Amino acid sequence: MTAVHTTDAAVPTNSSSAPRRAAPDGAPRRRGSALDRALPYLLLAPAVVAILWLIGWPVLSVLVTSFRKLNLRELTRGEVVWTGLDNYAEILGDPAFWGIAVRTVVFTGLVVVVSVLAALLIALLMRQISPVVRIVLQVAMLLAWAMPLLAATTVYQWIFDQQYGILNKTLVKLGFDSFAGYSWFSTGTSTLAVIGLLIVWQAIPFLAFSLYAGAIGIPKDRYEAAGIDGASAWQTFRAVTWPELRPLLLMVTFLSLLWDFKVFAQIWAMRKGGPDGGSTTLAVYQYLEGISKSHFGVAAAVSVVMVALLGLLTFQYLRRLVRSQEGEL
Amino acid sequence: MKGWRGLAVGAAALAVAVAGCGTSSDGGSGNSGEPKTLTVWLMDGSASTTLTDALHKEFQDSHPGVTVKYEIQKWNGIQEKLTTALTSNNPPDVIELGNTQTAKFAAEETLTDLSADMAGLNGDQWLGGLEDSLTWDGKKYGLPFYAANRTVIYRTDLFEAAGITAAPKSRDEWVAAIEKLKAANAADPDFQPLYLPGQSWYVLLSFIWDEGGDVAKSQGSAWAGALDTPQAKAGLEFYKKLVDTSGTKAPKDADEATPQQMEVFATGKVGMMIGLPWELAGAVKANADLASKTSAFAIPSKTSGKTAPVFLGGSNLAIPAGSKNADLAKEYLKLLSSAKYQGMLAEGGAVPGTSTDTSKLATTPIGKALAESAPNGKVTPTTPSWAAVEAGQNPLKDMLTAYLTGAKPLDQATADANTALSKTLGG
Repeated sequence: MTAVHTTDAAVPTNSSSAPRRAAPDGAPRRRGSALDRALPYLLLAPAVVAILWLIGWPVLSVLVTSFRKLNLRELTRGEVVWTGLDNYAEILGDPAFWGIAVRTVVFTGLVVVVSVLAALLIALLMRQISPVVRIVLQVAMLLAWAMPLLAATTVYQWIFDQQYGILNKTLVKLGFDSFAGYSWFSTGTSTLAVIGLLIVWQAIPFLAFSLYAGAIGIPKDRYEAAGIDGASAWQTFRAVTWPELRPLLLMVTFLSLLWDFKVFAQIWAMRKGGPDGGSTTLAVYQYLEGISKSHFGVAAAVSVVMVALLGLLTFQYLRRLVRSQEGEL
Repeated sequence: MKGWRGLAVGAAALAVAVAGCGTSSDGGSGNSGEPKTLTVWLMDGSASTTLTDALHKEFQDSHPGVTVKYEIQKWNGIQEKLTTALTSNNPPDVIELGNTQTAKFAAEETLTDLSADMAGLNGDQWLGGLEDSLTWDGKKYGLPFYAANRTVIYRTDLFEAAGITAAPKSRDEWVAAIEKLKAANAADPDFQPLYLPGQSWYVLLSFIWDEGGDVAKSQGSAWAGALDTPQAKAGLEFYKKLVDTSGTKAPKDADEATPQQMEVFATGKVGMMIGLPWELAGAVKANADLASKTSAFAIPSKTSGKTAPVFLGGSNLAIPAGSKNADLAKEYLKLLSSAKYQGMLAEGGAVPGTSTDTSKLATTPIGKALAESAPNGKVTPTTPSWAAVEAGQNPLKDMLTAYLTGAKPLDQATADANTALSKTLGG
């Protein structure tokens, strides 16, 4: 608007020259360039401040808390007691901690692998089946996905119940008599297996839908070409589907890793990390330290260690992500 | 342009509305001075509304300008809620604490020391077991509210049909009664002479104490587990004997709350359960026929004629250290600890905390069994770390499940649990 006006005003005084016209045209742009350049940042500022406030501050607060002794007494009186690295020394020196850390990593790894593989299979299956069956499958998955966390956990608890569980009853009917009164929660491993199954079941819908969205984006003619070349199903998958799905697959694996590493509600609701602490993961350990024992400083240190561990696990992916900002994954 | 104007009008309207809210709430709390609000938190099911209505009316009448803000809290998650409330700037003025949780809050000095006010709070009649639970470092951080303990609730009609004439007075008679009930109802495959879930650890405490053992021993201010003692092992063995003899179908890896044992009892296929008075009330509510067919006896000791020590479950009342109306709260507690309201507590089926008069309690069979065994009541170790045992992973439950299912032999189950318990109590 301004530029047009200046040009109009310039016309009567100096009717001919193009250079003159270029000057007023360019001048305001150069004059306002500082503002122009700052404007996008200014527009972003409220959002950035909000995000820093909502996410950055708690992160900083956890970090600061991890160097403090913060029990119920300090919390009530508002005392600030710095203990340096004592909290870290306490958890890293606890032999149980390392067992729990390894268990958490193994559990997360297994759950992620199983859920991503199962989701991939379902996604590929969805492309092959008739629309009616596909819709039924999709609705079923949506329902599973929409089920509240704790409601699903309760249902699983009853499925695997020792006395009244449908699973034991079914197995006995099928002739496996040794499952009468079998306790699925008698060891940490079998308890984690049940919890893992629940988490996989809850994770599959989102992963399968994401991968399916990627799969239908692959041009049909490539499959036709592969078919003409006489490629087997496996060769088609390797040569056509895999390269196209790989970036997406990496991303959902990364997301699953983040989600499954910090899972808490299902484990706690199932058996409180029992029996004998056999299904305790880092998230449960953190809850025991922080909420049950009111050692908030120690719990904060556990969080920091968890973040560090997660960073270590996802290091490769993060590096690729940062490096390939402009390019493909 | 029109859109902008609309937005401006909207924003202005909003500003006016917000300002309006501001002024009106200012008006509400602004006339500071005499009127005070005493915030009282009691737990779900602790005091009947008859009691609280009368109490609050009397208190408000004698303290003009004071309003009692009475809020009922749920037990589930109360520890977290109390932690938050006690650290806030404006905590409630009177709170109810489970007796096993009190030490934790007392030791962290989040409660007001009431030692000097004991005399005015009926201090000479306090229930011993509860008084222990609120004493920390020689100071009293609360006053006993009420207690209840487990008794054996049984079906009188089934006992008669099986030819059991008198309530068992010793462990042997108890086991014999279970066998008789089982034999008399052998035709019904769903019948259980005794319903006893695998993780009913308060029941286990009774047996361990009866053997002369304990959960943990104190060495000065430090506590160490005592679950690997012969007495504790003998207690566990008797627990298993009950489970095996009765053939109870209760899950071995759950406590009495999953499923609620009163609901199982209400089905009518159960001869006995070891429960609290409110559990019988719940069963009767679900199955009214049971009202006239149930009674209770105290958990028998291995010594004939005596009752076993019982876990005294109950509550204490305390004033948060940050309360702004501590004096008023003390007067409130004084009124509540008076004979009149303690009598009402007893009528409601609980052992009153600040009155030794249990005559009103002994009018029902279950009340009689309660009154008989309550003086023999004990509590879990009074240490701030005990709360973490209950709010976290309870080693006693793991021990019971491991032993009863045969996953671990007795010696290993007790040794493992003892290590875990000592660790939790140590930090």
